[in-house]
Amino acid sequence: MTADLETFRGEVREWCRTHVPPGWRAAQTAVPDDEFVSFQQAWFAELRGAGYAVPHWPAEWGGGMSTAEQVVLYQELAAHDAPRLVLAFVSIHHAASTLLHAGTPEQRDRHLPAILDGEIWCQGFSEPDAGSDLASLSTSARRTDDGFLVNGQKVWASGAAHSDWCLLLARTDPDAPKRYGISYFLLDMTTPGIDVRPIRQATGEWHFCEMFLDDVLIPESQLVGPVDSGWQVAQATLGAERGMTMLELAERLGNAGFGWLVEACSRPTHDGTRPIDDAVVQDRLAAFEIEVAGLRSLCRNHVDRVETGDDGPADASIVKLYYSELLQRMTDFGAQMVGLEGQTVLAKPISSGWESGAWVLDFVSSWEWTIPGGSSEIQRTIIGERGLGLPREPVPSP
Amino acid sequence: MNEFADLHDDLRAVARDLLGTTSDTVATTSDAAEGPTDWARMADAGWLGLEVPEALDGSGATFAETAVVAEEMGRAVTTSSYLGTAGLGVAALKSVVGSEARDSLLRGAAAGSVRLAVALAPSGDDPLADPPFRIESSGGSILLSGRAAFVVDATEADQLLLLAIDAAGDPALVNIDVGAVDSSAIDVGAVEVIDQPVLDATRRFGVVVADRVPISEQSVWNFDSDAPGIAAQRLADRGAVAVACDSFGLGAAMIDATVVYVAARHQFDRPIGSFQAVKHACADMAVQQAIGRELLSAAVEAVATNEPDAWVAVARAKSFVCAAAVDIVGSAMQLHGGIGYTWESGIHRHLKRAVLNRTLFGSPVAHRRRLFASIGTR
Repeated sequence: MTADLETFRGEVREWCRTHVPPGWRAAQTAVPDDEFVSFQQAWFAELRGAGYAVPHWPAEWGGGMSTAEQVVLYQELAAHDAPRLVLAFVSIHHAASTLLHAGTPEQRDRHLPAILDGEIWCQGFSEPDAGSDLASLSTSARRTDDGFLVNGQKVWASGAAHSDWCLLLARTDPDAPKRYGISYFLLDMTTPGIDVRPIRQATGEWHFCEMFLDDVLIPESQLVGPVDSGWQVAQATLGAERGMTMLELAERLGNAGFGWLVEACSRPTHDGTRPIDDAVVQDRLAAFEIEVAGLRSLCRNHVDRVETGDDGPADASIVKLYYSELLQRMTDFGAQMVGLEGQTVLAKPISSGWESGAWVLDFVSSWEWTIPGGSSEIQRTIIGERGLGLPREPVPSP
Repeated sequence: MNEFADLHDDLRAVARDLLGTTSDTVATTSDAAEGPTDWARMADAGWLGLEVPEALDGSGATFAETAVVAEEMGRAVTTSSYLGTAGLGVAALKSVVGSEARDSLLRGAAAGSVRLAVALAPSGDDPLADPPFRIESSGGSILLSGRAAFVVDATEADQLLLLAIDAAGDPALVNIDVGAVDSSAIDVGAVEVIDQPVLDATRRFGVVVADRVPISEQSVWNFDSDAPGIAAQRLADRGAVAVACDSFGLGAAMIDATVVYVAARHQFDRPIGSFQAVKHACADMAVQQAIGRELLSAAVEAVATNEPDAWVAVARAKSFVCAAAVDIVGSAMQLHGGIGYTWESGIHRHLKRAVLNRTLFGSPVAHRRRLFASIGTR
């Protein structure tokens, strides 16, 4: 087993040495959107060719790697500074998970191979008045003879401007309690009536989008799971998914981000001294190393427990909370270590990890982890209530 | 207390009005708002000449008044040359031996016709380092050499004041009239100011470089002090406190905006501010600010009254307030949710400026280290 893993590691290393595009960081910094998209599509095709694009999928669909193999793969990709699959993130994780757990055979056959061919997905969940309280979403899907007629507004749909399809939550029964009147749809983004408008982020990039839906018709065949049970479908498919995404990100943090932090601390400052020779800096770095080790181990065990159905109700929240806050603290520390020089790094490569070595920008973008996908406040409530069984926060209506 | 203390409230109110932060929401957010605030209006308001002696058309006030304006500029995330001119330049001019030329610059600063920039260290984040420039005599001429990075407002300045070591080994200020430099003369050797763009688009820095540039004897201005090294250090301390005032203002703006937002934003059929998690996060911001206010007041007072060991209060305030501001603005971004992460909300400007301020004129670690050195000996 261990010998097999080392053989596999050797293969991945060799592949990385010959396939990671040299100089991609500089070439992908401050580039126009279309160049970013074509770069991501090409990189996805490279990974797919090697069998590395969707290692977490079942074997029959093109994946089938064990957790241990996935860890090795992610470690080596990070160590060789390979670009991340930023554009396909929702496609290979959230969309695939939804299709595998709740999709019809027709939906799977239609979309899983298409995702491997580069079909891009986004998520249409949040709304201006339904963020942390996602279940209060008000985008409506009214049943007609031709299917569901959807009207409303979505927000924070990451990558929607480049997406072919969208995972959509909409209310099919306005009279039911909040969590029992929602349905889950696959929305073809070429359907008439969809208006996508990018939103500029704190980092200056335009990654998130607003989506305005005006009489958008979705055929009955694009419903995922039973009507009115979309909330339950989303909870079941996406909670499990959290661990999978975290496995890669934790290895990135451990094998790339932490290394860059050590490197940043090792660089001589203008007076010739190095931060890393300072006892306080050494202590902070060692403390981060310990935290990253704990997080990586937790992520691996979490993925194994999801596979065997032994995961706890708040495990995914623990992983997400810890990762996002550790990322924030590490990038904050990086920003402090590089001082004013760090302020002169005005852009970072779009396809890099959340820790790119552009520390001030990395720190700013760390809020993209502590806010979306259930804010840290929401995660703590979930850990307290679902994980520890504490009494619920008072909520006036069901 | 000083005679101007009563005027602080008035000064603050005028500043809020002029800088456009009269509402409790986040300061103006459009890209256009990142342009510089009108310099002439600041001169008219008397802000540029606050510390210029009355005989030279100033108000004869103290650093305590300058600090009020600095805090309000943080609150409004103002882009201006105030830090370079009023925060440092005027004090630098007042610290050297008087002369016609010196008085003329003070007059000009008060009137808004002269913008100043002061270079005290090789890098703006390490004010305790050795002076960045040196003066040497060579074949009858005086030559200036050295390099200073992250010089506040250098690219906008008409007049530079560069801290240099003279032939005797003492620090002095070298005055360079940037406006007088003939661009055709650059190849024969002139002081160069290179734009240094930073992520915080509300601030402007330059690198000042001199490579054996001939200067006149009249442009070397000695400190009016028996201990010129300490006089130079006091300038750096002023800069540190002015930046702490700015960070304090950033934090104040973010606390106000967050409290308004979480009281208005409803989720789960309640204002999110009614959730203990949110309320406690707001309380933590307010507590940090309360401690910061005390430390900052002490530092402003110590600098304004020229206390011999003012640097102790400076080290406390700079390290605490500038670190706390990053946490406070970060909490504000977090509690504003997705909206807080948008460019449009403007919170990113406060965050980038707070991160920059934390390092400018000395990191919290550097100031704590300096403070610790005194703990065993006091």
